[in-house]
Amino acid sequence: MIVEPNHFEKLYQEHRVLVFNVALNYMQNVEDAEEITQDVFVKVHHALNSFNYKSSYKTWIYRITINQCLDYIKQKNSQKRFFIFGLKSQNEQEYLNASTFEHPGIVLENKEEATVLFQVINTLTENQKTAFLLSKLDGLSNPEIAEIMQLSISSVESLVFRAKASLQNKLAEKFTQYRKK
Amino acid sequence: MEQETWIQNILESTNGITPAMPNENLWAKIHNKIQQQNYVSPKTVWLVAASIAILVILNITLLKTKTEEKTMTPSAYFENSLNKSNQLYQ
Repeated sequence: MIVEPNHFEKLYQEHRVLVFNVALNYMQNVEDAEEITQDVFVKVHHALNSFNYKSSYKTWIYRITINQCLDYIKQKNSQKRFFIFGLKSQNEQEYLNASTFEHPGIVLENKEEATVLFQVINTLTENQKTAFLLSKLDGLSNPEIAEIMQLSISSVESLVFRAKASLQNKLAEKFTQYRKK
Repeated sequence: MEQETWIQNILESTNGITPAMPNENLWAKIHNKIQQQNYVSPKTVWLVAASIAILVILNITLLKTKTEEKTMTPSAYFENSLNKSNQLYQ
């Protein structure tokens, strides 16, 4: 398989920050995000010759990154089973639940609140989390998110709405704990 | 009211977020991973070549045997099918 080195390197330079930040927001861990970034670009390299130009490179790379994050989380969760016959957790994000992640790009005065936000984001379903992160942190529009997630725009709107509602409910529960401090 | 303000502060805490920069070494690591996946060990190449050679030889041997059976004359076939002790009667 022959891939033009310049073309691949150009794709890497253009999208490395995007991929790393999507992975970072999803995994809430710098080492995991770096690992995923590497895996994403290896996949991009292997699939570049068969890219069909039905979407933009950006959309395609977004999709690969999100799928890679989801696979990584599933892999991590399966390693966390306590014994071989143990029941699989209903919450696929189980291993992220104890996160005290501090995103390096958050302004100092918001760090504590952002840590709480990232914790409750982990309680969302896969699709809600993806839609919310792409909307809130990546600043993508609903049509862009719909193209990445291969859903209708109305589905994306519904996901973002439900994600926000779910976050507000979870935060209301957390508030009572916060008040006790 | 206090609760709503607190929740709103949490939800808006990522406003103004700046992208984090990946490690500069990532490109080299990616390059190495790609090279590793493209590399096939000589041992694997020899094993595959040997397997193909064995299969080819077996096929040729089988074809030769079948060809010999087909070219056998009727009398030769009769002789081959006779009892080895040449006893026609039990």
